[in-house]
Amino acid sequence: MVTADELRNKAQLYYDDVQAGQDMPPLVIGPMTPTHLFRWSAAIENWHRIHYDQNFAVYHDGLPNILAQGSWKQSILPRYLKDMCLPDGWPWKVQFQHRAMIVPGDTITVWARVTGKREAEGLGLIDMDVGMRLQYDAESCPGTATIVLPIRGGRAIPYPFVAPKGA
Amino acid sequence: MSETKNPLTDEVKALIGVSAEKVEASPPWGIEREGLRIFTNAIMDPDPRYWDDAFATTTKFGGIVTPPIYCSYIGRKTLAGVEDPVSRAFRENPNSDGIGGMREGGADRRGVLPPIPTPLKRILNAGNEIELYQYPKLGDHIYSQAKYHDIKGRVTKDGVAMLVVTTQATFTNQDGDVLCILRQSGIRR
Repeated sequence: MVTADELRNKAQLYYDDVQAGQDMPPLVIGPMTPTHLFRWSAAIENWHRIHYDQNFAVYHDGLPNILAQGSWKQSILPRYLKDMCLPDGWPWKVQFQHRAMIVPGDTITVWARVTGKREAEGLGLIDMDVGMRLQYDAESCPGTATIVLPIRGGRAIPYPFVAPKGA
Repeated sequence: MSETKNPLTDEVKALIGVSAEKVEASPPWGIEREGLRIFTNAIMDPDPRYWDDAFATTTKFGGIVTPPIYCSYIGRKTLAGVEDPVSRAFRENPNSDGIGGMREGGADRRGVLPPIPTPLKRILNAGNEIELYQYPKLGDHIYSQAKYHDIKGRVTKDGVAMLVVTTQATFTNQDGDVLCILRQSGIRR
Protein backbone atom coordinates (compact mmCIF):
# COMPACT_ATOMS: atom_id res chain seq x y z
CA MET A 1 0.00 0.00 0.00
CA VAL A 2 1.17 3.52 -0.71
CA THR A 3 2.45 5.58 2.23
CA ALA A 4 1.70 9.13 3.31
CA ASP A 5 5.24 10.22 2.48
CA GLU A 6 5.02 8.73 -1.03
CA LEU A 7 1.86 10.77 -1.65
CA ARG A 8 3.43 13.84 -0.08
CA ASN A 9 6.48 13.66 -2.34
CA LYS A 10 4.99 12.14 -5.47
CA ALA A 11 6.57 13.31 -8.72
CA GLN A 12 4.19 14.75 -11.32
CA LEU A 13 3.24 12.50 -14.22
CA TYR A 14 3.07 14.57 -17.41
CA TYR A 15 0.86 14.12 -20.47
CA ASP A 16 4.02 13.96 -22.58
CA ASP A 17 5.24 10.86 -20.75
CA VAL A 18 2.11 8.75 -21.22
CA GLN A 19 1.49 6.62 -24.32
CA ALA A 20 -1.49 4.70 -25.64
CA GLY A 21 -1.31 1.07 -24.58
CA GLN A 22 0.66 1.88 -21.44
CA ASP A 23 -0.23 0.09 -18.22
CA MET A 24 -0.27 2.45 -15.24
CA PRO A 25 1.20 1.30 -11.90
CA PRO A 26 -1.48 -0.71 -10.08
CA LEU A 27 -2.74 -0.34 -6.54
CA VAL A 28 -2.96 -3.63 -4.63
CA ILE A 29 -5.41 -3.88 -1.73
CA GLY A 30 -5.92 -6.87 0.52
CA PRO A 31 -6.38 -9.59 1.34
CA MET A 32 -9.73 -8.19 2.43
CA THR A 33 -11.07 -9.39 5.77
CA PRO A 34 -14.44 -9.19 7.54
CA THR A 35 -12.94 -6.43 9.66
CA HIS A 36 -12.24 -4.25 6.60
CA LEU A 37 -15.86 -4.64 5.52
CA PHE A 38 -17.18 -3.97 9.02
CA ARG A 39 -15.04 -0.84 9.31
CA TRP A 40 -16.46 0.60 6.09
CA SER A 41 -20.05 -0.18 7.12
CA ALA A 42 -19.45 1.62 10.40
CA ALA A 43 -17.68 4.56 8.73
CA ILE A 44 -20.62 5.39 6.48
CA GLU A 45 -23.35 3.90 8.72
CA ASN A 46 -24.41 1.27 6.23
CA TRP A 47 -26.19 -1.31 8.40
CA HIS A 48 -26.94 -3.80 5.64
CA ARG A 49 -26.26 -7.20 7.20
CA ILE A 50 -24.86 -8.73 4.01
CA HIS A 51 -21.66 -6.81 4.68
CA TYR A 52 -20.88 -8.02 8.24
CA ASP A 53 -23.30 -10.82 9.26
CA GLN A 54 -22.12 -13.98 7.54
CA ASN A 55 -25.06 -16.16 8.64
CA PHE A 56 -27.50 -13.62 7.20
CA ALA A 57 -25.54 -13.15 3.99
CA VAL A 58 -25.22 -16.88 3.33
CA TYR A 59 -28.42 -18.41 4.74
CA HIS A 60 -30.92 -15.57 4.27
CA ASP A 61 -29.66 -13.92 1.07
CA GLY A 62 -27.97 -16.93 -0.50
CA LEU A 63 -24.67 -15.16 -0.99
CA PRO A 64 -21.31 -16.93 -0.96
CA ASN A 65 -20.05 -14.84 1.98
CA ILE A 66 -20.34 -11.29 3.33
CA LEU A 67 -19.69 -8.86 0.48
CA ALA A 68 -17.52 -5.80 0.07
CA GLN A 69 -19.78 -2.81 -0.33
CA GLY A 70 -20.40 -1.29 -3.75
CA SER A 71 -20.09 2.09 -2.06
CA TRP A 72 -16.55 1.17 -0.93
CA LYS A 73 -15.57 0.13 -4.45
CA GLN A 74 -17.03 3.43 -5.68
CA SER A 75 -14.46 5.30 -3.58
CA ILE A 76 -11.47 3.15 -4.50
CA LEU A 77 -11.36 3.89 -8.23
CA PRO A 78 -11.45 7.70 -7.74
CA ARG A 79 -8.81 7.34 -5.00
CA TYR A 80 -6.55 5.39 -7.42
CA LEU A 81 -6.97 8.03 -10.12
CA LYS A 82 -6.41 10.82 -7.57
CA ASP A 83 -3.07 9.29 -6.58
CA MET A 84 -2.08 8.89 -10.24
CA CYS A 85 -2.67 12.58 -10.93
CA LEU A 86 -0.91 14.02 -7.87
CA PRO A 87 0.19 16.66 -7.25
CA ASP A 88 -1.19 18.88 -10.01
CA GLY A 89 -3.27 16.66 -12.32
CA TRP A 90 -6.99 16.06 -11.97
CA PRO A 91 -8.99 12.79 -11.82
CA TRP A 92 -11.88 14.17 -13.88
CA LYS A 93 -14.24 11.27 -14.48
CA VAL A 94 -14.72 7.55 -14.18
CA GLN A 95 -17.53 5.16 -14.94
CA PHE A 96 -17.76 1.48 -14.09
CA GLN A 97 -20.04 -1.48 -13.60
CA HIS A 98 -20.22 -3.95 -10.73
CA ARG A 99 -19.38 -7.50 -11.73
CA ALA A 100 -17.52 -10.09 -9.60
CA MET A 101 -18.36 -9.90 -5.91
CA ILE A 102 -15.52 -9.14 -3.50
CA VAL A 103 -15.47 -11.32 -0.38
CA PRO A 104 -13.06 -11.74 2.55
CA GLY A 105 -9.86 -13.39 1.35
CA ASP A 106 -9.85 -11.53 -1.97
CA THR A 107 -6.89 -9.42 -3.01
CA ILE A 108 -7.78 -6.57 -5.36
CA THR A 109 -5.52 -5.12 -8.03
CA VAL A 110 -6.78 -1.71 -9.16
CA TRP A 111 -5.48 -1.19 -12.70
CA ALA A 112 -5.55 1.23 -15.63
CA ARG A 113 -4.44 0.98 -19.25
CA VAL A 114 -4.16 4.05 -21.48
CA THR A 115 -6.43 3.80 -24.52
CA GLY A 116 -5.81 7.27 -25.94
CA LYS A 117 -4.59 10.79 -25.33
CA ARG A 118 -5.77 14.16 -26.62
CA GLU A 119 -5.20 17.83 -25.97
CA ALA A 120 -8.05 20.21 -25.28
CA GLU A 121 -7.71 23.91 -24.43
CA GLY A 122 -4.06 23.37 -23.50
CA LEU A 123 -4.80 20.48 -21.13
CA GLY A 124 -3.70 16.88 -21.59
CA LEU A 125 -6.56 14.37 -21.43
CA ILE A 126 -5.74 10.71 -20.94
CA ASP A 127 -8.44 8.12 -21.59
CA MET A 128 -8.10 4.75 -19.91
CA ASP A 129 -9.72 1.41 -19.35
CA VAL A 130 -9.81 0.77 -15.60
CA GLY A 131 -10.88 -1.96 -13.24
CA MET A 132 -10.48 -3.86 -10.01
CA ARG A 133 -9.23 -7.37 -10.72
CA LEU A 134 -9.31 -10.16 -8.15
CA GLN A 135 -6.55 -12.68 -7.45
CA TYR A 136 -8.28 -15.37 -9.55
CA ASP A 137 -8.44 -13.01 -12.54
CA ALA A 138 -12.12 -12.09 -12.24
CA GLU A 139 -12.92 -8.46 -12.96
CA SER A 140 -14.96 -6.76 -10.25
CA CYS A 141 -15.33 -3.22 -11.64
CA PRO A 142 -14.71 -2.84 -15.39
CA GLY A 143 -14.86 0.75 -16.53
CA THR A 144 -13.32 3.73 -18.24
CA ALA A 145 -11.80 6.94 -16.97
CA THR A 146 -10.44 10.27 -18.16
CA ILE A 147 -7.75 12.06 -16.17
CA VAL A 148 -6.19 15.42 -16.89
CA LEU A 149 -2.39 15.79 -16.78
CA PRO A 150 -0.30 18.89 -17.27
CA ILE A 151 1.60 19.28 -20.54
CA ARG A 152 5.27 20.17 -20.12
CA GLY A 153 5.62 23.89 -20.63
CA GLY A 154 1.84 24.20 -20.79
CA ARG A 155 -0.71 25.86 -18.57
CA ALA A 156 -1.62 24.76 -15.08
CA ILE A 157 -4.70 22.64 -14.68
CA PRO A 158 -7.33 24.92 -13.16
CA TYR A 159 -8.60 24.23 -9.69
CA PRO A 160 -11.51 24.09 -9.18
CA PHE A 161 -11.49 22.06 -12.37
CA VAL A 162 -13.19 23.49 -15.44
CA ALA A 163 -13.79 20.89 -18.12
CA PRO A 164 -12.65 21.79 -21.64
CA LYS A 165 -15.65 22.46 -23.86
CA GLY A 166 -16.73 19.46 -25.89
CA ALA A 167 -14.12 17.19 -24.31
CA MET B 1 -49.81 -14.98 -26.82
CA SER B 2 -49.85 -11.34 -25.75
CA GLU B 3 -46.81 -9.24 -26.53
CA THR B 4 -44.86 -7.75 -23.62
CA LYS B 5 -45.20 -3.98 -23.69
CA ASN B 6 -42.28 -1.62 -23.38
CA PRO B 7 -42.41 -0.45 -19.76
CA LEU B 8 -41.36 3.08 -20.74
CA THR B 9 -44.87 4.48 -20.53
CA ASP B 10 -45.67 8.16 -20.99
CA GLU B 11 -46.09 8.38 -17.24
CA VAL B 12 -42.58 7.00 -16.67
CA LYS B 13 -41.07 9.07 -19.48
CA ALA B 14 -42.48 12.21 -17.91
CA LEU B 15 -40.07 11.73 -14.99
CA ILE B 16 -36.95 12.23 -17.14
CA GLY B 17 -35.33 15.45 -16.02
CA VAL B 18 -37.44 15.71 -12.86
CA SER B 19 -35.42 16.99 -9.89
CA ALA B 20 -35.99 16.68 -6.17
CA GLU B 21 -35.56 19.48 -3.66
CA LYS B 22 -31.98 20.56 -2.99
CA VAL B 23 -31.14 19.62 0.60
CA GLU B 24 -28.20 19.90 2.93
CA ALA B 25 -26.30 16.60 2.97
CA SER B 26 -23.77 17.58 5.63
CA PRO B 27 -24.55 17.66 9.34
CA PRO B 28 -25.25 21.12 10.84
CA TRP B 29 -21.57 21.54 11.73
CA GLY B 30 -20.30 20.83 8.20
CA ILE B 31 -17.27 18.79 7.16
CA GLU B 32 -15.18 17.95 10.21
CA ARG B 33 -11.93 16.16 11.06
CA GLU B 34 -13.15 13.14 12.99
CA GLY B 35 -15.59 11.93 10.33
CA LEU B 36 -12.89 12.54 7.74
CA ARG B 37 -10.36 10.52 9.78
CA ILE B 38 -12.72 7.56 10.12
CA PHE B 39 -13.55 7.63 6.40
CA THR B 40 -9.98 7.89 5.12
CA ASN B 41 -8.93 5.03 7.37
CA ALA B 42 -11.76 2.91 5.98
CA ILE B 43 -10.56 3.45 2.41
CA MET B 44 -6.97 3.04 3.61
CA ASP B 45 -5.86 6.31 2.00
CA PRO B 46 -3.06 7.94 4.04
CA ASP B 47 -2.88 11.07 1.84
CA PRO B 48 -1.56 13.93 4.04
CA ARG B 49 -3.87 16.32 2.17
CA TYR B 50 -6.59 14.88 4.44
CA TRP B 51 -4.90 15.45 7.82
CA ASP B 52 -1.58 17.33 7.69
CA ASP B 53 -2.50 21.03 7.99
CA ALA B 54 1.04 22.31 7.37
CA PHE B 55 1.44 20.26 4.19
CA ALA B 56 -2.12 20.78 2.93
CA THR B 57 -1.63 24.55 3.12
CA THR B 58 1.25 24.28 0.62
CA THR B 59 -0.88 22.46 -1.97
CA LYS B 60 -3.15 23.99 -4.61
CA PHE B 61 -6.08 23.22 -2.29
CA GLY B 62 -4.83 25.66 0.33
CA GLY B 63 -5.85 23.46 3.24
CA ILE B 64 -7.27 20.14 4.32
CA VAL B 65 -9.58 18.56 1.71
CA THR B 66 -11.58 15.34 1.63
CA PRO B 67 -11.35 12.30 -0.67
CA PRO B 68 -13.00 12.69 -4.08
CA ILE B 69 -16.57 11.65 -3.33
CA TYR B 70 -16.61 11.90 0.47
CA CYS B 71 -19.47 14.37 0.25
CA SER B 72 -21.74 11.70 -1.23
CA TYR B 73 -21.57 9.58 1.93
CA ILE B 74 -22.17 12.09 4.70
CA GLY B 75 -25.90 12.44 4.00
CA ARG B 76 -26.42 8.79 4.89
CA LYS B 77 -25.58 9.31 8.54
CA THR B 78 -28.29 9.39 11.17
CA LEU B 79 -28.32 12.65 13.08
CA ALA B 80 -28.73 12.71 16.85
CA GLY B 81 -32.13 13.02 18.40
CA VAL B 82 -34.14 10.95 15.91
CA GLU B 83 -35.68 7.52 16.36
CA ASP B 84 -32.95 4.87 16.17
CA PRO B 85 -33.28 3.38 12.67
CA VAL B 86 -31.57 0.12 13.67
CA SER B 87 -34.01 -0.57 16.50
CA ARG B 88 -36.91 0.43 14.25
CA ALA B 89 -35.74 -1.95 11.52
CA PHE B 90 -35.85 -4.97 13.85
CA ARG B 91 -39.01 -3.87 15.61
CA GLU B 92 -40.80 -3.74 12.25
CA ASN B 93 -39.20 -6.95 11.04
CA PRO B 94 -37.26 -9.29 13.34
CA ASN B 95 -35.57 -10.70 10.22
CA SER B 96 -34.65 -7.25 8.93
CA ASP B 97 -31.68 -6.84 6.61
CA GLY B 98 -30.54 -4.05 8.93
CA ILE B 99 -31.47 -1.14 6.68
CA GLY B 100 -35.24 -1.54 6.64
CA GLY B 101 -35.52 1.16 9.28
CA MET B 102 -33.79 3.78 7.17
CA ARG B 103 -36.06 6.39 5.70
CA GLU B 104 -34.71 7.89 2.49
CA GLY B 105 -34.48 11.63 2.93
CA GLY B 106 -34.82 11.38 6.69
CA ALA B 107 -38.00 11.51 8.74
CA ASP B 108 -39.46 14.29 6.58
CA ARG B 109 -38.48 12.60 3.27
CA ARG B 110 -36.85 15.71 1.87
CA GLY B 111 -34.78 15.57 -1.28
CA VAL B 112 -36.34 12.31 -2.43
CA LEU B 113 -37.31 11.76 -6.05
CA PRO B 114 -40.90 10.69 -6.81
CA PRO B 115 -41.23 6.92 -7.18
CA ILE B 116 -41.31 5.45 -10.67
CA PRO B 117 -44.83 4.24 -11.50
CA THR B 118 -43.91 0.73 -12.61
CA PRO B 119 -44.66 -2.79 -11.42
CA LEU B 120 -41.01 -3.71 -12.09
CA LYS B 121 -39.61 -3.98 -8.57
CA ARG B 122 -36.38 -6.00 -8.77
CA ILE B 123 -33.44 -3.62 -9.04
CA LEU B 124 -29.91 -4.50 -10.17
CA ASN B 125 -27.04 -2.00 -10.07
CA ALA B 126 -26.02 -1.40 -13.69
CA GLY B 127 -23.17 0.97 -13.00
CA ASN B 128 -21.89 4.27 -11.69
CA GLU B 129 -20.44 7.43 -13.20
CA ILE B 130 -18.48 10.05 -11.30
CA GLU B 131 -17.41 13.53 -12.42
CA LEU B 132 -15.11 15.53 -10.13
CA TYR B 133 -14.64 19.30 -10.06
CA GLN B 134 -13.56 20.27 -6.56
CA TYR B 135 -12.81 18.58 -3.24
CA PRO B 136 -14.79 19.67 -0.16
CA LYS B 137 -12.80 21.45 2.55
CA LEU B 138 -13.05 21.37 6.33
CA GLY B 139 -15.98 23.47 7.44
CA ASP B 140 -17.80 23.26 4.10
CA HIS B 141 -21.52 22.65 4.05
CA ILE B 142 -22.59 20.21 1.37
CA TYR B 143 -25.85 20.27 -0.56
CA SER B 144 -27.23 17.58 -2.83
CA GLN B 145 -29.92 17.52 -5.45
CA ALA B 146 -31.23 14.34 -7.07
CA LYS B 147 -32.60 14.11 -10.59
CA TYR B 148 -33.84 11.45 -13.00
CA HIS B 149 -31.08 11.87 -15.60
CA ASP B 150 -32.47 9.32 -18.06
CA ILE B 151 -34.87 6.40 -18.25
CA LYS B 152 -34.84 3.81 -21.04
CA GLY B 153 -37.23 0.96 -21.57
CA ARG B 154 -36.92 -2.24 -23.54
CA VAL B 155 -38.22 -5.74 -23.95
CA THR B 156 -35.64 -8.49 -24.37
CA LYS B 157 -35.83 -11.20 -27.02
CA ASP B 158 -37.19 -13.47 -24.28
CA GLY B 159 -40.02 -11.06 -23.60
CA VAL B 160 -38.64 -9.63 -20.36
CA ALA B 161 -39.56 -6.01 -19.79
CA MET B 162 -36.97 -3.79 -18.19
CA LEU B 163 -36.31 -0.17 -17.39
CA VAL B 164 -32.83 1.30 -17.08
CA VAL B 165 -33.13 4.23 -14.69
CA THR B 166 -30.22 6.64 -14.29
CA THR B 167 -30.44 8.93 -11.30
CA GLN B 168 -28.05 11.81 -10.83
CA ALA B 169 -26.94 13.52 -7.64
CA THR B 170 -25.19 16.89 -7.87
CA PHE B 171 -23.19 17.94 -4.83
CA THR B 172 -22.46 21.63 -4.20
CA ASN B 173 -20.98 23.64 -1.36
CA GLN B 174 -22.30 26.67 0.51
CA ASP B 175 -21.07 28.92 -2.32
CA GLY B 176 -22.95 26.95 -4.97
CA ASP B 177 -19.75 25.47 -6.44
CA VAL B 178 -20.28 22.07 -8.03
CA LEU B 179 -18.08 19.55 -6.20
CA CYS B 180 -19.01 16.34 -7.97
CA ILE B 181 -21.78 14.73 -9.98
CA LEU B 182 -22.66 11.10 -9.41
CA ARG B 183 -24.90 9.03 -11.65
CA GLN B 184 -26.17 5.57 -10.85
CA SER B 185 -27.94 3.32 -13.30
CA GLY B 186 -30.27 0.60 -12.11
CA ILE B 187 -32.02 -2.08 -14.12
CA ARG B 188 -35.60 -2.65 -13.03
CA ARG B 189 -37.22 -5.88 -14.10
